[in-house]
Amino acid sequence: MLWFALILPDLPLQVFTRGVEDAGLLAVVEPQPRATIVAATAAARVRGVERHQGVAGALVVVPELALRERDPALETATLAELATWAGRFTPCVSLDPPDAVLLEASASLRLFGGIDALAQRIAKAALPLGLTTTLAAAPTPLAARWLARARPGTLVRPSEGWAHALDALPIELLADGAPVPAATLELLRGVGVRRIGELPRVPRDGLARRDASVVTDTVARARGRDPDPRPRFVPAERFASRLVLPASVAHTEPLRFAAGRLFSNLAAWLAARRAGLDCCRLHLEHDRAPATVVEIVTGRPQRDAARFVQLACEHLAALTLPAPVEALRLTADAPVALPACTPDLFDGESDAAREAALRLLDRLRARLGRDAVHTVLPVADHRPERAGRGRGRLHGARDHR
Amino acid sequence: MSTSPLATLAGLPPGLLWPADRLARPAEAGVPTGFAALDAQLPGGGWPRGALIELLIDAFGIGELALLLPALRAAAPERWIAWIAPPHLPYAPALAAAGVRLDRLLLLTSSDPATTLWTIRQAVASGGCSVVVAWLPNAQSAALRRLQLAAEASATSLFVFRPGGAAQQASPASLRLRLQPAPDALVLEIVKRRGPPLAWPLRLILPERPAAFPSRAARRCSGLR
Repeated sequence: MLWFALILPDLPLQVFTRGVEDAGLLAVVEPQPRATIVAATAAARVRGVERHQGVAGALVVVPELALRERDPALETATLAELATWAGRFTPCVSLDPPDAVLLEASASLRLFGGIDALAQRIAKAALPLGLTTTLAAAPTPLAARWLARARPGTLVRPSEGWAHALDALPIELLADGAPVPAATLELLRGVGVRRIGELPRVPRDGLARRDASVVTDTVARARGRDPDPRPRFVPAERFASRLVLPASVAHTEPLRFAAGRLFSNLAAWLAARRAGLDCCRLHLEHDRAPATVVEIVTGRPQRDAARFVQLACEHLAALTLPAPVEALRLTADAPVALPACTPDLFDGESDAAREAALRLLDRLRARLGRDAVHTVLPVADHRPERAGRGRGRLHGARDHR
Repeated sequence: MSTSPLATLAGLPPGLLWPADRLARPAEAGVPTGFAALDAQLPGGGWPRGALIELLIDAFGIGELALLLPALRAAAPERWIAWIAPPHLPYAPALAAAGVRLDRLLLLTSSDPATTLWTIRQAVASGGCSVVVAWLPNAQSAALRRLQLAAEASATSLFVFRPGGAAQQASPASLRLRLQPAPDALVLEIVKRRGPPLAWPLRLILPERPAAFPSRAARRCSGLR
C-alpha cells in the first residue's frame, strides 16, 4: 500500500481566492461562537492580521480588510471536486475531511513511472485548479496525512522500519485526522511526551486507565500495525461546480479566469469518467436578480478544457450583465462515453454504424423523453390518421440489431 | 516558349481548380436523387453527402416527400432515417408501399426550437443516421451555420424544410432548392448550388405521392405514364 495525502491548507480561504489572480486583503470569518478570523491572505497577514484574532481587532489593524463568512458547504464541495480530479491518478480515492484527500496509488506507480514522478505529476496537475496543495506519501493514510501536514513533500517508501519517519513528529498531530481529544493531548504533554516516537515508552495500562487508549490505537493505525480501511470516493453522476468570487464583478472580462478554473474541473470530471461532453451551462449568479445562464455547445463531444474556455469566452464577450456577478456555477449532465479507438479488422463499418445508431437512440431518449422518440408502423385501419401508430414501439426497433 | 494561362490551369491536377462556370466536383459522389434531370444539375451527380440541403416550400403536401423517397429507399439498413419535428403525422402505409424501411424510421417530436436544433445536431453528429430530415419553420442564420458545420463533419445528408420566404435570406447551406407545386409535377428552382445559377426551373414528374390517397395517386401516375 502506498497512500498519497493531499492537504488543502487554509481551505476556508482557498475556496474564495481560487477564482481570482490576486485576492488582495481578504480574511475569512468564523461567525460562531465569536466572530474570529479563520484565515487571511498573505497580503493581510503581512499587515498584521492573525488567526484567532477577533474581527474588531483585525479591522483596527487593517481598516480596508475585506471579510467573507466561512462557507462549510463550499469547502465540502471543493474537497469532493479535488477527489474527483484525483480520480485520474488512481481509482482508490478517499475523502479525509475536513481538508484532505487520500489516494492509494500502489497500483498506479508503474504507469506513472515511480513514486517521485507521480508526486511531481500530481503537484503539477493541481495548478490549473487554482488550489494550493501540500503532498506527502507513506504506507498508511494517517502517516501520509501527518507528514503532509508537518513535512510537506516527504515521500516515505514502504520498507523495513519506515515507521521511524514518524518518530520526530510532534504529538499535536495525533488530533489531526483521528479522534484524539484535546484533554488527552494535554495529559501527554503533562507527562513530558513531546514527539510521537516517545509514545511507546508511556505505559499502555496507564493510558487505558485514563481513558486515553485512543492514542495507542491511533499510533498503531499510523504505523500500519492495525488496519485502517477507508471508504472509496465515488464521483458524482452529474457535474455541478460552484465558484464564489471574493468580490462582486460588474464586467465579464474578469470572469474568464474564474470560468477557466471551473472548466479545468469539468475536464477532470470527464477524464475520471472517460467521457466527453457537448453541452454545458454556465450560470452567472447575481445578488438579487435571477442567474444569467450561458449555454455552451460544442459540435462533438469532447473533454478539452481549453476548447470549452474558448467557447465560454466568446459567449461572455457578447453578454451584457444585468447585475454584478457574485458567483459562477457550471452544470453538465449526459456525458457521452468517449471510447478509445478500436480498429476493426472485419466489417467494422456496419458494426460501428449499429453501435452509433443505438447510442444516438439512448441519448435522444435521455434528453427528449421516451414519448418524443418513436417509429411508425402501419396499422390496418380505414382512417388515415390512425393508420400509422408507433408510440412505444422502440423496443422492437432496438431488437432489430 | 510561352503557354497561355488557360493551358497552364488546364494542366493542373483535377480538384485543385474550380472554374465558377462549371459545377463543383466534390471528392465523394452524391446520393442519386432518383430523378435524372435533377442529378444532372447537382454537383457530384446527386444529393451531396455531409452537407446541409435546404428545401424551401410554402405549403406542405405538394410532393416534397416524394422528392426524397428514392434517397430514403436507398438508406443503409443499419442506420436510422431520422425525421425531426415533422408538422404532421406521416402516413405509414404509403411510406411502406414506397419501399421505405419503417423499422429504421425514427420519428422525433420536439416542443421548442432549441431542442429541435439540439436533436438535429445529435442525429447528424452521431453517425447513426444515414439521412436526417428536419422541419425548421424559423431558423436563425447562426443555427443553420452550426448545422452545416455538423453535417460537414459527418457523412450524413441533412435535409431541412424551411418556408419559401427564406429564399431571399442568405444561408450557409451548400444546396438550396425552392419547391413549387404544379399539376401532377413539382417545379424546382435551384436557389443556390456549388456552380453557376440555373436560369430555368426544373420540372419533375413525381411517380409517387405518399401524401395523397394511394388509389388516387396510382390513378394519376398511371395516367401520366
